[in-house]
Amino acid sequence: MSYVDAGYAAALGTMLVYAVTLVVRRRRWERALKMSEPAAEPDGAPVRGEPS
Amino acid sequence: MWHDAVLVAGKDLRIEARSRVGLWQVVPFALLVLVLLAFAIGPDQASLRHAAPGIFWVALLFSTVLAIQRSVAIESGEGTRDGLRLSGIDPAGIFLGKAAAVGLQLLALQVVLWAGVTFLFDVQVHVVWLAVVASLLATVGLACAGVLYGALSAGLRVRDTLLPLLVLPVLAPILLAGSKAWEAALNGNASSGTQWLKVLVPFALIYLVVGVVVYGPLQEAA
Amino acid sequence: MTEQVIVPRRPRWLDVVGILGIVALGFTVWLGLWITPPDVVQGNLARLLYVHPAVATVALYWAGGVAAGGSLLYLWPRTRSFFWDRLAASAVEVGAVFSALTLVTGSLWGRPVWGVWWTWDARLTSTALLLLLEIGYLALRRVPADLDVRAKRCAVAALLVAVDVPIVHFSVDWWNTLHQGGTILDPGFDLHVHGIMLWTMGLSFVAFTLVFVWLLGVRYQVEVLQDAVGDQELEVSLSERWGEDADLVSVAGGRAPHGSGGAA
Repeated sequence: MSYVDAGYAAALGTMLVYAVTLVVRRRRWERALKMSEPAAEPDGAPVRGEPS
Repeated sequence: MWHDAVLVAGKDLRIEARSRVGLWQVVPFALLVLVLLAFAIGPDQASLRHAAPGIFWVALLFSTVLAIQRSVAIESGEGTRDGLRLSGIDPAGIFLGKAAAVGLQLLALQVVLWAGVTFLFDVQVHVVWLAVVASLLATVGLACAGVLYGALSAGLRVRDTLLPLLVLPVLAPILLAGSKAWEAALNGNASSGTQWLKVLVPFALIYLVVGVVVYGPLQEAA
Repeated sequence: MTEQVIVPRRPRWLDVVGILGIVALGFTVWLGLWITPPDVVQGNLARLLYVHPAVATVALYWAGGVAAGGSLLYLWPRTRSFFWDRLAASAVEVGAVFSALTLVTGSLWGRPVWGVWWTWDARLTSTALLLLLEIGYLALRRVPADLDVRAKRCAVAALLVAVDVPIVHFSVDWWNTLHQGGTILDPGFDLHVHGIMLWTMGLSFVAFTLVFVWLLGVRYQVEVLQDAVGDQELEVSLSERWGEDADLVSVAGGRAPHGSGGAA
């Protein structure tokens, strides 16, 4: 792999990995926020699938 | 004793995994020491390459002090140490467990430091086994001596300034032997390197044994 | 300020920015790797010009600027709002990622050109320092504390990080460095960037900037959500479990003798 390819791969790869981790973190905290607000669900049924 | 050691080591490592103080504070600190020493030595590539082994070990030593303080701080809360004493866990097991936890973290740190030194100072380890063995032996000594002196200074308010003062002179032989062994590993000179390994072995053994024996009475006294 | 943390709804424009960024990046890569010609002097290595300077610009000016600006706006009583604090914190984290990337891409360029992966010249060293300063900020941010205590502490720390930004910028002027001066603006440099190379470079700046904005936005959302969920008392008691003396930390402003930067 040439230095150029490695450079592009590093840049794109890093940003992709970081973006994915951010989205995952966001989802995790959104779920946590929903969990910590039981009053918001009048029928008690969780909107998002799995229990934590 | 061994079972207790595993228990305590597991606890310390799990705390580290949750809080990640080692990752966020100790590792950047070690890299910072590398950069600062590079500032001090100046930009001449040859000087830096020559100093690289010493820089690795100095950075490691300073980071060890941080890691020890962290290890002691875990039990610095109100009554935690008393609780540990009263729990019936074998003090020798506590010592071994804490030393093992610190040792494992130091090993991980050394991998990062090794990469850092190789990258920043443009050196390459030619005799890998020599460097690895030196690191392993030294880590045993560093962890054992460190936890021991950490316990010595544990209850004291001046712990943060006293611990480095106490432990660094004790660790100086490791610094010397480790640097020389690494220098040999970088130069490809295995035979002179092995002489220095012979210094590291007794050091590791002494502090391991002393720690196991003395930790219990130390805890009673602290 | 102990108001409840309000989590704003996800803005539409953020995802639009993200998509635009991906498209622009795609074009940049396509142009950079295939369409643009190799340089007369540097050959294919010049293709890294479409990555490294843009990444460095994001890390240094955009991230550094937002971090510094946000911190100042937080510290100034008239504009004080946790929004600026959270924005600054997000900028530092994204900035750290880009700073690291700057060093990596620069290193990959430097190895074939200078023969070494690293050299201790002023620009590289000050950039490495920037990364370490950013990591220090992030470590400080993780210490549990009340929102306003943390915000104030981190704002000061961010300003200290920002001090390094002009140093990095002027390093090529103040010291005799191996790293070259401005690529487009410095006529003495032996790489003539013109025509499609100039356009591609410009596009790369746009692309990476868009991506930065998207990353910043998502990171900000994470920060707000964390604060909303975080029960401060829970965090404090957790920190005691982890062995950090929370009182000692907030009084001393960071880990005792080895505290990062100048936290008060």
